[in-house]
Amino acid sequence: MSDEHGGAIETLERRIDQLRRALRRAAAGGDRTLARALRGDLREAEQAWDEALAALESRCEPSAPAPRVASMLSIREQVHHALTLLTVPAAPKLIIAVHEAFFPGELVAARLTSLRRDEERSFRVAPFGRPYYLGPALAADLLSPARGLLAISTWPLAARIVGPLSPRVDFLISAIRVAKRIAALPIVEGAASRLLWRFAASIPGAGTGAVYPAKVIEAAEAELAVHAESDSAHRLAAAERAREVLDDTESLFGARLSSPRISHGSSRRTA
Amino acid sequence: MDRLVERLDRLRGPVAPRNHNARTIAALTSNPGCARRGVLDAAGVNKGEIARHLGFPSGYGQSRFAIGRGNAFEAQVKADGCADLLHLLRERLGLSIPEVAYADLSTVGGNASREVRYARTRSLLARAAGDHDDAGTMFDHPMLRLEIAGYYAYLEPDLIAFRAGGRFYVVEIKSFPVIDGQADPAKVAAAARQAAVYVLAMRRLLAELGHPGDVVADEVVLVCPENFANRPTASLVDVRRQLSVLERQLGRITRLEAVLDALPETMTLDPAQPAGDVATSVRAIDASYTPDCLGTCEMAYFCRDECHGSTRALGRGVHDDLGGVDSVDTVLGLARGTRTPGVGQEEIASLLRFAHQLREECLS
Repeated sequence: MSDEHGGAIETLERRIDQLRRALRRAAAGGDRTLARALRGDLREAEQAWDEALAALESRCEPSAPAPRVASMLSIREQVHHALTLLTVPAAPKLIIAVHEAFFPGELVAARLTSLRRDEERSFRVAPFGRPYYLGPALAADLLSPARGLLAISTWPLAARIVGPLSPRVDFLISAIRVAKRIAALPIVEGAASRLLWRFAASIPGAGTGAVYPAKVIEAAEAELAVHAESDSAHRLAAAERAREVLDDTESLFGARLSSPRISHGSSRRTA
Repeated sequence: MDRLVERLDRLRGPVAPRNHNARTIAALTSNPGCARRGVLDAAGVNKGEIARHLGFPSGYGQSRFAIGRGNAFEAQVKADGCADLLHLLRERLGLSIPEVAYADLSTVGGNASREVRYARTRSLLARAAGDHDDAGTMFDHPMLRLEIAGYYAYLEPDLIAFRAGGRFYVVEIKSFPVIDGQADPAKVAAAARQAAVYVLAMRRLLAELGHPGDVVADEVVLVCPENFANRPTASLVDVRRQLSVLERQLGRITRLEAVLDALPETMTLDPAQPAGDVATSVRAIDASYTPDCLGTCEMAYFCRDECHGSTRALGRGVHDDLGGVDSVDTVLGLARGTRTPGVGQEEIASLLRFAHQLREECLS
């Protein structure tokens, strides 16, 4: 950092030590005049040390991590940014990690939980009143809301539906998108490199230890090629079905399986 | 069988039976000699409440911090489409690259009732066992059930993995660490017992569907944090022994009739009754207390109090060392020489006197 200042401080510290030792000897020997002179010198040296330390601190301040401040954007906009980067439905945890890696401001995890409900309420009050809504991804089999996955309403229906292979396919696509974004960054550090490392750790051939975006992209694309075709077939078929059976609200927020009255107590064995 | 169920219902009284889970079913096997535990568990009696009613409340239960930690670790392992888990399963089970299909069974279209989830699990597993191409690989939180004395106990394994090779593997995610390849043996044993319950339930389910039992592997995949970090590692644990113990124990529950026949026909453990009556009823069922019970059974403090003064309360090791003499008073009497040894007690009496003499010499 500032070697010059650090060096000056060390010299001062040595001088302070020497002065203290001399002062102790003088006091023990009963030489009051010398002791008084030494005490004055010591005070001066300590003051100089304080000043040097203050200078060092003021120089080092800018490089300390700036405290994260609340973003000016609303939470739905922040989530929209992260999802637009990923292009696939994602869990809140991943959305937060992506936001932390690439966008300024803080995304408060606790507020994500109520987001989906607020969006649905807003849609029911004034349908299509907003340019986009954040809704759940839909499970391919029952077209019900998939647990813990957020998607953007303006995406094509097939992209908002998750089939059995989709969690993996979406994970690989996220890895590719994140790696491409990181490859374009001038410096990679902190949250971004942690995110890339997390992706690389569970993609075969993406490398361990030092992780390079190009290698992650290559490995993810190789695995993606294996799953992509049957996954998109699944999604397209489910989207076709969804268009037939779901109304507007359901196609954005998922169909609910109407539950017949089933006893929640222990069911008695039937003979 | 129905007569037995009726009898157990009467014993429990007019309260809902306590639901079994893998933990309580596994605990059935921990002290097989205890008729009291066997009867109370089979009848679905809330042992914690009975113990409280009798004035022996137990602090038994899982710490909420442990539960929170367990859930957080499980969420981490299953995050991003089971990315971490998939990596481990590819390594340990040799899953091939195309085997990544994932089915979430924790709710069915927003409906989390156990019966609906069980039906869905059953149909998905039937399809997988029927060997369809895209039948799925990972089944997250499937719902299984096992019949315990006339009632269905619903069970929820962390995950079931299905390999194209045609075998199902139960995956158990636990948050205790594996340090340098070693984990706490007691915790591994508990996890293996629980996993064995899932394996058994899976086997029964597939047997109903007409598949042989060995479709479910008798090795389970145990996923734990590695060393001092939070990174998961997986190991295969053989649960054949736990399975056979469990099967024998569950088979024994139906043989409880013999125990029940020895009890008064009208006996009930209804917690609405005065504590004295319930205590008399509970005492009528034989227990075999060991110090291990303190960690696994809510009734332990009652049983310990009941066998106060008996050498059995000190554990099997001590009981055996004392040559099978039952009462602590007799042991002390023999050691001090104030009691004449009975038939067959001469040898242990001389040993005890010798031990007493050594102790006196040390203390004086």
